[in-house]
Amino acid sequence: MKNYWMRIAALLFAFALIAAACGGGDDDATESGESSAATDPPETDEAMEEEEGAMEEEEEAMEEAAGVDLAGAELQLWGWASSAAEDTQLTSLVAQFNSDTGADATFEPQPEYDVALQASLAAGDPPDVFYVDSGKLPDLVDSGALAPVPDGVLSDPDDIYSSLRDVFTIDGTWYCPPKDFSTLGLVYDPVALTEAGLEVPTTWEELATVAAALTTADRVGLSFGAEYARAGSFLFQAGTDILTADGTAVAIDSDGARQALQYLADLYAAGSVASPGDIDTGWGGEAFGSGAAAMTIEGNWIVGFLGNEFPDRDFAVAELPQGPQGQGNFAFTVCYGVASNAENPEQSWALVEYLTSAEGAAAWTSGFQVMPARESAAAGWLADNPELSAFVDGAAYASRFQFPSGVGDIQGVFDDAYQRLIAGDITVDELIKEVVDAGDDLL
Amino acid sequence: MTTATKPTAEAGGLRARLRKLQQSNQPQRAQIFNREGLWGWIFVSPALLGMIVFLAIPIGMSVLVSLRDWGGITPPFESEFVGADNYRELLFDDNIRRKDFAISLRNNLYYVLGVVPVQTFIALILAVVLNQKRLKGKSFFRTAYYFPSITSSIAVSLIFLFMFQTRGAVNALLPIQDINWLVNPNGIIHNLLGVVGVDEAPGWMENNEFMSLSLWEWASGPSVAMLSIMILVTWTTVGTFMLIFLAGLQNIPVSVEEAAELDGASWWQRFRFVTVPMMKPTIVFVISLGLIGTWQVFDQIFAISFGGPQKSTLTPAFLTYFQTFQNGEASLGAAIAVLLFFIIMAFTVLQRWLMRDKDRL
Repeated sequence: MKNYWMRIAALLFAFALIAAACGGGDDDATESGESSAATDPPETDEAMEEEEGAMEEEEEAMEEAAGVDLAGAELQLWGWASSAAEDTQLTSLVAQFNSDTGADATFEPQPEYDVALQASLAAGDPPDVFYVDSGKLPDLVDSGALAPVPDGVLSDPDDIYSSLRDVFTIDGTWYCPPKDFSTLGLVYDPVALTEAGLEVPTTWEELATVAAALTTADRVGLSFGAEYARAGSFLFQAGTDILTADGTAVAIDSDGARQALQYLADLYAAGSVASPGDIDTGWGGEAFGSGAAAMTIEGNWIVGFLGNEFPDRDFAVAELPQGPQGQGNFAFTVCYGVASNAENPEQSWALVEYLTSAEGAAAWTSGFQVMPARESAAAGWLADNPELSAFVDGAAYASRFQFPSGVGDIQGVFDDAYQRLIAGDITVDELIKEVVDAGDDLL
Repeated sequence: MTTATKPTAEAGGLRARLRKLQQSNQPQRAQIFNREGLWGWIFVSPALLGMIVFLAIPIGMSVLVSLRDWGGITPPFESEFVGADNYRELLFDDNIRRKDFAISLRNNLYYVLGVVPVQTFIALILAVVLNQKRLKGKSFFRTAYYFPSITSSIAVSLIFLFMFQTRGAVNALLPIQDINWLVNPNGIIHNLLGVVGVDEAPGWMENNEFMSLSLWEWASGPSVAMLSIMILVTWTTVGTFMLIFLAGLQNIPVSVEEAAELDGASWWQRFRFVTVPMMKPTIVFVISLGLIGTWQVFDQIFAISFGGPQKSTLTPAFLTYFQTFQNGEASLGAAIAVLLFFIIMAFTVLQRWLMRDKDRL
């Protein structure tokens, strides 16, 4: 029997050893990582000497001046996977950062990004730098997960569009610099417009006229997603929104909102506007590209989509028409956040600075239809994309696409009610009552 | 319960002898703490460890999390303990969250009531057909019917997305031409009532509410969009259940079938009075699996409709995901998951009670 217990003990001991070995694996990896990192800088220096660019030297000098030792710093950059081209671009930008500074940063696109980020934050082990969608910012700030931008780590922050900095500012604290941004534009078919002898609409009245004139048996004048992210711009143009600017009260119970929603409901009822689903397409871009709609309201990304999917489709972009209270637009933007409990905050901010500096922003957006978040980079971007100036112009008056933490449900309530409004199931007042009721529950 | 436990005088003697036999066997029976048992524990320990780490602990944690106010971002147990607040919000307070939960329950209830009987029936019929001795190309049909079950649910969903468009394959086959299935939020019971002229809710249905949803809304039936997803799911799961039925059918002795045939029973009579009664344990099993699976529907909703149009395909499982990962209300999501667990439990227990073996009690 004794012998038997000995065997059990031996077995348990073996288990313990295996467990310890598994646990130790990480340490080993880190150690070897560190040791290889320690041998890295000379190699990189050599590489740099070989390439020897004046600019690189300057940058190196700058990093040294900032007093951040990046040599061998392991940095994880998390984002969501978008197009292969974008992934490649960011990966090569990060590789450039590594060769300039000797750091060991990697871009790791995550499938199911929200889930992955949330899990890593909850586990207390977040990546060093990560994408933060403007809509997600309040939740992250509310739970104290994000570090504010420290003074002096970013070059010339005033060069970043103030409307975009505002998006990532909560209660006066600025949390992260935007990676890039997109706005909405009125994308139209110039050929159809010329054939009908019409001008590009610049006001709501003109938009209604043009949409009606361009509607034929197998084409609607205008089609855009039946949701807040598009229809909300009409609320802005009427001087209102679902919530007040500080997000503490419901603002939609106003004459401006009634006017905007009634204007839209009438357009749908007249048949000159339809939601993409109603004309058998998935979204505004497809509705326009396939020719099922003569105009759509979409963001910059439609340009790349049309180029890939409908290369023969003629299109032009104008600013969104003005409403009774002037212009209004959405700024869709993402920033690079650094966790409040980051292991290497200085190195992380150095990476963010590299990616969002004037040069970094220009390098990132070159060849893409997302716009650089810095005013100084706008001219260079427009030189490459002259036909897209309407999107850049929208930045001046664009509003954030964001709800305070815990109030996000109200967007779903609006979308739901809006879809019933345009189907003619409810009236504008009923929509407003539903949204106000939901606001009372949530605020 | 075996017949040996029936308290007749004769069987009573048998039982006493059995007990004696059991007692004399006691030392050799699988005791879980003797030497043999210990080895047993060691052998099952990897699997047991996996169960504890990946099932028991997470389930326990999600119950604990549902009692807190956790946004899903900070470490969970640093958050504030709020007791049953999340449950109160979902069940008793008249607010938007309860309304969403009620909508998801309504949608999923119709979904379950539609999918479970249909998939069970079709699977049983297919299995009986495939089990016929004289059928040629059996393995071809078996593979063909099983194929949808092994295809990625996301891939199948995307194909259905195309099929159910206005100009898609489904409308081309049907006499109705202009239904856009997947964006149509109208309940089919409402639609049917509309056909017979009931367009408006009767007053008593409009004015009486249960969980923030009027009785008229409860009675909507599945939306057209949900119906499309129900068709899709039925199509993909029928194959799996058909296989289970086939296995069950092969356990029925051929002699029983032959005896019925000799007695002059028609095909239907044999099916109704021989096959179905003998298949009852399998049917119970398939319906249990069906109930559990359909209450948890998520993939297809995620891929096709994201809860829309107008929340008509919102389900508790999807709402859990939405509140946890999209809306920053992880505790609320956990509470929905816990409530869903009790709903599934209740339905399964009710089903097993309804289909209990009355003859053998």
